[in-house]
Amino acid sequence: MANFNDTSSRRLIPAMNRLAQSILVAGSMVVLSSCAGFRLDRVNFGWPVESVVTVTASNTIEDVRYGVSAGVANLAMEEFQDSTALRGATLRMLRSSEGYYFVTGPRFKHVYVFSPGAFSLTLNTSIAVSEAGLRNPALNQRPPYVELIDGDSFRRILTSDDIVEAKK
Amino acid sequence: MKTALIIALLLACAAAPAAAQQSDYAVKKSYEERYRAIADRIDSSASMQELDSLRNEIQKLETAYAAHEAFLDKALYPTTFTGSLQRLRSLQVLTYDRVYLIQTQGVKLSELEARIGSLSTRLDSLTSQRDQLFGELQESKKSLASLREAVKRLTANLKAKDQLIFALVDSIFLPYGKDVHQVADVHKEAIEQKLEKANVVTRVYEIAADNVKFLEVTQLQGKDYTNLIEQYETFSTRWGGLKERMAAVAATSAVVPSSLQTGKGTAHAPAVKGGALSVGQASQSAAAQAEHVDSVLAEWRTKLTGAFWSGLQKEFSAAKVGVAPFHDGPTFSASIRTYVATLKAGTQDPATFVDIVWKQKIDKEWRDGLMKESMLGKTEYAALDKLVSEVSKESIDLKLILYLLGVVVIIGGVWYFLFRKKASASAEQKTT
Repeated sequence: MANFNDTSSRRLIPAMNRLAQSILVAGSMVVLSSCAGFRLDRVNFGWPVESVVTVTASNTIEDVRYGVSAGVANLAMEEFQDSTALRGATLRMLRSSEGYYFVTGPRFKHVYVFSPGAFSLTLNTSIAVSEAGLRNPALNQRPPYVELIDGDSFRRILTSDDIVEAKK
Repeated sequence: MKTALIIALLLACAAAPAAAQQSDYAVKKSYEERYRAIADRIDSSASMQELDSLRNEIQKLETAYAAHEAFLDKALYPTTFTGSLQRLRSLQVLTYDRVYLIQTQGVKLSELEARIGSLSTRLDSLTSQRDQLFGELQESKKSLASLREAVKRLTANLKAKDQLIFALVDSIFLPYGKDVHQVADVHKEAIEQKLEKANVVTRVYEIAADNVKFLEVTQLQGKDYTNLIEQYETFSTRWGGLKERMAAVAATSAVVPSSLQTGKGTAHAPAVKGGALSVGQASQSAAAQAEHVDSVLAEWRTKLTGAFWSGLQKEFSAAKVGVAPFHDGPTFSASIRTYVATLKAGTQDPATFVDIVWKQKIDKEWRDGLMKESMLGKTEYAALDKLVSEVSKESIDLKLILYLLGVVVIIGGVWYFLFRKKASASAEQKTT
């Protein structure tokens, strides 16, 4: 009898272990899936006004009000093919209501749109805005768009990907 | 006309997008710059007219940026467009009040400066007048009437000086409020300089010394003392107040009357003239200056009370009323009580003491002085007066009894001579 019992228990224990593992995995999946689906909506990341920042000698920019700082050597390399070209330059940076960072500056031919990541800004789009290069650009928040102006007659309405409206 | 209108409209249309294309950042920046410029002008503004015009500038700023209010509310975080303008307006109002105060106080200060100058001049003229009066006092000792006149004028002179010096002190302290401790250091220094310039301590010392001298050279009557005691008490109280305020403002330099530098200030010391102080002399502390005035004030009090009690003693000795010697309120009270007790116990006639000395002299001439709390006091005087009146009552009763006895004797005599003699004569006739 005891032997029989021993034999049946030996068979049952692995089966129960498998069942418990299955339940645990299923439960974890339910929990994880519900966590992954949780999000906040109607978020507005937009800054009311652009930040005018000066590139330091160490090729960085810093916005004190919003607590954002970044290295801009790659940006200089991309726009001017010279990683030091932006030192001392004044850049215009604005976060759109969607959460993208728009960056441009004098002599820029593009507006760079970045999406934020862990300790990084990843280029989303590079929007060509001027063949001759901008002179004194400014970015304005015009939800859901970003307005780019340069002097009195140059105006572009931008999304995070492209130009939606242009006026010369 | 129409063409001009069309051109104007076209220009306006051309300008419109330009205005619309303004950078938000530029709007914020220009607003902040104009704001700062106005705030700076408010801060440095020194006239009410300028501040009035700046109030209009604030209004213009508000009008110019009203269209951007919603944007500026966000861009100016943590403040808002309205909040920032409110702060600017508050600054303007506060500055306006400050400038108004400075300007009006400035007028007041200049008025007070003029007053201080005038009071100083008057004090100086009173000082020269005082010298003349002391001279007259010496000369007029032969004639009682002229002596009284000189004493009267000199008393008035000293009282006027006393009042003037404290008017001068008040004029110096007036612009700075009652609590000198709250006054800023820069103002304390200003007060100190003014006190120094007006020779306040020297003048206070001088007045106290004059009073001491006056008491030394003058023979006073009982009624003279009331005013003199009052004058001393007022002066002493006001000096106490001034000393306290001087201690509060004393910080850097000390101002000491030049005459006090050479030795202890006494009534015999020549009256301080001018009192201008050199830097070298200004080394003693405010406490030391105060001590000199305190010492002469103590001397004033000693002389005044000494003259008072000895003058009072003379009233008794002149009438040959043998009260025990006294030198202050308690000893005077004790002497009178002892004397009254002696009168009550003995057979001595109290008429001289009661009628001639107490009623004619003490009660008429010395009462006000004696009733001063610093001398005898109202209660004690009233008690003594009652005690003396009881002696007087007793004496009246005794006289009445004597009068009545006299009347009875006269009536008895008349009755004896008229009726007794007639009766004895008729009896003799019957027997014969």
